[in-house]
Amino acid sequence: MTNLTLRRPEGVADGLRRPAVRRKLARRDTRIGFLFLLPLFAGLLVFRFYGFGYNVWLSFNKAGAFGRARFTGLDNYERLFSDSQLRIALVNTFKFTAIVVPGVVVVSLLCATLMQYRFRGQSAFRAIVFLPAVCLPTAAILLFGWLFQTRYGLINAIIQAAGGSSVSWFGSSAGVTVVITVIVVFLSFSVPTIILYAGMQEISSDIYEAATIDGAGSVRRFFSLTLPLLSPSLFFVVLTTTIGTLKLFDVAYVLLPPEQSASVNFGLTAVYYYYQLAFLNVGDRGYASAVSLLLFVLILAVSIVLFRLQRRFVHYGEDG
Amino acid sequence: MLHQYRVRGWTYAVVAVVGLLVLVPFAWMVATALMSPGQTLLVPPKVIPDPATLDGARGVFNRIPYLTLLGNTVVASIGRVIGTLVICTLAAYALAVIKVPGARVILVTVLALIMVPGDIFVVPNFAIISAFGLTDTLVALFLPSIFDVFGVFLLYQFFRGIPRELVEAARMDGASHLRIMTTIVVPIARGGLITLAILTVLAEWKELLWPIVVNRSIDKLTLGPGIALLRGSYTTDYNVLMSAGVLAALPMILIFLVLQKRFIASVARSGLK
Repeated sequence: MTNLTLRRPEGVADGLRRPAVRRKLARRDTRIGFLFLLPLFAGLLVFRFYGFGYNVWLSFNKAGAFGRARFTGLDNYERLFSDSQLRIALVNTFKFTAIVVPGVVVVSLLCATLMQYRFRGQSAFRAIVFLPAVCLPTAAILLFGWLFQTRYGLINAIIQAAGGSSVSWFGSSAGVTVVITVIVVFLSFSVPTIILYAGMQEISSDIYEAATIDGAGSVRRFFSLTLPLLSPSLFFVVLTTTIGTLKLFDVAYVLLPPEQSASVNFGLTAVYYYYQLAFLNVGDRGYASAVSLLLFVLILAVSIVLFRLQRRFVHYGEDG
Repeated sequence: MLHQYRVRGWTYAVVAVVGLLVLVPFAWMVATALMSPGQTLLVPPKVIPDPATLDGARGVFNRIPYLTLLGNTVVASIGRVIGTLVICTLAAYALAVIKVPGARVILVTVLALIMVPGDIFVVPNFAIISAFGLTDTLVALFLPSIFDVFGVFLLYQFFRGIPRELVEAARMDGASHLRIMTTIVVPIARGGLITLAILTVLAEWKELLWPIVVNRSIDKLTLGPGIALLRGSYTTDYNVLMSAGVLAALPMILIFLVLQKRFIASVARSGLK
């Protein structure tokens, strides 16, 4: 590669002591360093920066799947405010997030706590808890669609066996909300569980011993020690789950195909609506771009709020 | 040393409930997959398929090119893993080992990009892939995702921990950076690369929106979007739907059962603080 390799090692060592040679080497290092960064930069430039710019440009145009885009100024942005379909999608998205995030936190805290115990079958339990994370989401969504099926589904059969009357899960907004949140929690609690478990492992057992000697019971220890000391991991889980759910697409898409217009609005999410605008029928990509920018700003705003809250509620050790 | 967690009766009860809540749906998927269409439509449902039949699986092979979808998934995953590992290793090496001028600024930009939900912009990415003439190709499935800023940051953290003296000594021996990277840094940070590879495979496995947007012909789709096509048109054939689910979910579950420890360790490391 470089002519350095041809020299004898001692010679290089001698050379390195001389400032001029050293500077030259440093310059070469810099060149190679930027060469190494080039693929990343090129990709980010095309797919992230140019893509974002193109998206912004498109949002000021009327553009379909075919033909040239036509500049329409702020029309698309005005449409954002009067679009009832978009309002439905955003309300659904935030509603799902508001239910899913606490659900994931509670379930993953419970499972992470259970992982701390030593009992026979612990490793099997860990594998079972992780299973939803490796299950193909589409397969799981189809499966839950079948479980919640109104006439022949297992869940209504269980409800009826218990003396209740069967529920039309896809016939109401509340029903679809239950189905979607159950699926999302099922599909996304595994990774948080592992992260919280790893966080719990880092908490020193001395602290627990001290607290036990001081007479703190297990409930007290959980709320006064585990939760505060775990708060950095908890924050990470809340942040990633929130952003992930705000971007929810697959569950709504697989569960509620666009042609089932009756119930699709009960589960329409922002990204699903964006997809419909941009890629179904002739496409309305200019307006879709405006919708995606709105969603982008909303997700950023939520992240910033969470980071602000983090400063107040998250406890980091003295060493950072 | 977690002796403060004493196992009591209720622990087993809660563990059993959680375990069943995960396993019963999967068991029901397998059971339904082995039923005939008539058996799936019984009220109340029968839990054990009797007689068990593979009609559902045959239905899957008749209606979707399962093996093509599986092959595409493997190709897209391998392509994405190799692309991601190469690009992220090179970049992280430049930032953590060479420490190019402005490395801090670049790193802050990388961190900012991790936080920015840029992946929702499917329309521009589709336009770019179209401009390259790559729609309906396997490369299109993974090309936009290999420039993985999260991966750069993950590997950066691993590379930073490598002793400087080791690299300096190799430099003095006249080794090139490419050589140092492949023979010293990558072997030492192997754990980081494996972590990134596993997280990348899992991410590709879960893609749905991007594949259905960029590849319209079913021969160029992956398993997830491929079996999603079965819904709607065949809603009553639940044995076919569930067979498709089993057949599609099985490969990754098998890989996971073999590499369980690595998977869990990788995910634990993804919780960057």
